[in-house]
Amino acid sequence: MAPNDYHSLSKEALVTRLENFEREASESQRDLVVALRELRDVKAALDEHSIVVITDPSGKITYVNDKFCAISRYSREELIGQDHRIINSGFHSKEFFRELWTTIGRGKVWHGEIRNRAKDGTYYWVDTTIFPFVDEAGKPRQYIAIRTDITRRKADEMVLQQFASDLAEKNKELETIVYTVSHDLRSPLVNVQGFGKQLQKACEKIQTAVSSASNGQVPVEVLKQPVESAIPQALKFINAGVSKMEMLLAGLLRFSRLGRVVLNIQPLRMNPMLNELVAATKFQMNEAKADVVVEALPDCLGDRGQTSQVFANLIDNALKYRSPDRPLLITVRGRKDEDQAIYSVADNGIGIPVEHQPKIFEIFHRLNPTGTPGEGLGLTIAQRVLERQKGRIWVESKPGVGSTFYVSLPAART
Amino acid sequence: MTTPGTGQHPPVILIVDDDEGHAILVQQNLEAAGLSNRFEHFTDGQAVLDFFFHHGPNRHSQPGETYLILLDIRMPKIDGIEVLRQLKSDPELHKLPVIVLTTTDDSREVERCHELGCNIYIQKPVDYDKFAEAMRRLGLFMSLLLVPPVKG
Repeated sequence: MAPNDYHSLSKEALVTRLENFEREASESQRDLVVALRELRDVKAALDEHSIVVITDPSGKITYVNDKFCAISRYSREELIGQDHRIINSGFHSKEFFRELWTTIGRGKVWHGEIRNRAKDGTYYWVDTTIFPFVDEAGKPRQYIAIRTDITRRKADEMVLQQFASDLAEKNKELETIVYTVSHDLRSPLVNVQGFGKQLQKACEKIQTAVSSASNGQVPVEVLKQPVESAIPQALKFINAGVSKMEMLLAGLLRFSRLGRVVLNIQPLRMNPMLNELVAATKFQMNEAKADVVVEALPDCLGDRGQTSQVFANLIDNALKYRSPDRPLLITVRGRKDEDQAIYSVADNGIGIPVEHQPKIFEIFHRLNPTGTPGEGLGLTIAQRVLERQKGRIWVESKPGVGSTFYVSLPAART
Repeated sequence: MTTPGTGQHPPVILIVDDDEGHAILVQQNLEAAGLSNRFEHFTDGQAVLDFFFHHGPNRHSQPGETYLILLDIRMPKIDGIEVLRQLKSDPELHKLPVIVLTTTDDSREVERCHELGCNIYIQKPVDYDKFAEAMRRLGLFMSLLLVPPVKG
């Protein structure tokens, strides 16, 4: 500041000082205008990028920018004077907000991600920074919150999480299969090795008998045991073991190929499909004196070949596991349950005890391996095929009464 | 062979294995190791549970008889794990000695079986010389076991 010495200045000096004053004043005014313009530009840019809200110390909204109104779908008039409960989605805990308020109440910046609810009930996620402005005493005077819409990112994260958990489940499934298959492949190997040894011993026995036959005549008693029992038994188990391994490997290959088949998902008309399947088994049905009833079925979305295979397998199982006490009756029904088509294939066959039911979808598992042919793959494949088409399969069964297999697939849009 | 010190006759050895070939090989090798016990063969877990819980029309355990179980894990209907669980949670049958004899050596499976109360876990080696050796040692070991009778 200029000293208070006007009374002692000359007229010229006074004029010069006045001129200086005027110059300085207009300079600082110009600076102010420049600063204001800059501030306005920054605010415009901020408004373009961020959701901005200002509240008083109690949390009452005193200012919102256009983006806040746009994302929350509330008008400015509806928001001013309200607090943030108006957009609370109920997603976060009380502790979450308590921690937020404690932080900014102490004059500290809070940063975090919040899920809010817009006026129309939709949810949106915002990455939020709340900056408290404090007075000389350190008490918050007002809060400015700057937010970025991260709804899309959150949705992607959720999808990613789903993928990760699906993958973990698949991995576990794969581990079970590897475990099962390694056991199942080792079993026949034990036989091939063990009975191979038995075969070798039998041969040695014969060789000894032959080489010690002085007159070229081998006594029959010595040959009896190896030729009549040891060798045939060994050959039986070796051959069975080799066929078993052959079957397991072929089945495994078939199962693994399923995952690579390109699916052609299309609306499927189920009644014609089932009629075709039933017609194809007409001979076996007649032979078994079996009857098949197909009721009106809703259409669904699926791959024609694969879905048809599932139902063919279920009908085949019903034939295989029919009861000797009564003629087989298979009933195929269907209904729509919201966006799902649910089909049932019910039989009056031998049924499956509850304690055995969890096993039936396991790879290579067979409840009755000696009574009926099969490799223990049909239901495993059905389950896998349906999974790939967003479908499911499950069973309800009572021993001695019959089994009902349920298949759900996405319903065809009508 | 009599069970030493008790004057009882040796326990009946129950081979629970869905693979008939395995059952024959196990029995042959145990007999070659000097065991003269009676053997019985069950092809799935259900059959051996029915035997002890006296369900169904087939064979049942006899009072006063002693038994020793050689149990496979992966079997049709009811697997070895479930057999183990049911036997070991029965107040009387849990006394039955159970030797798990299976083709896998998965460490989680070994742990699970011991948790459920299996007494011994042995892997059936694929290599036959090792298999024969394992059965020979098992035979020698079993000849030393004292087995309590169970009330059926």
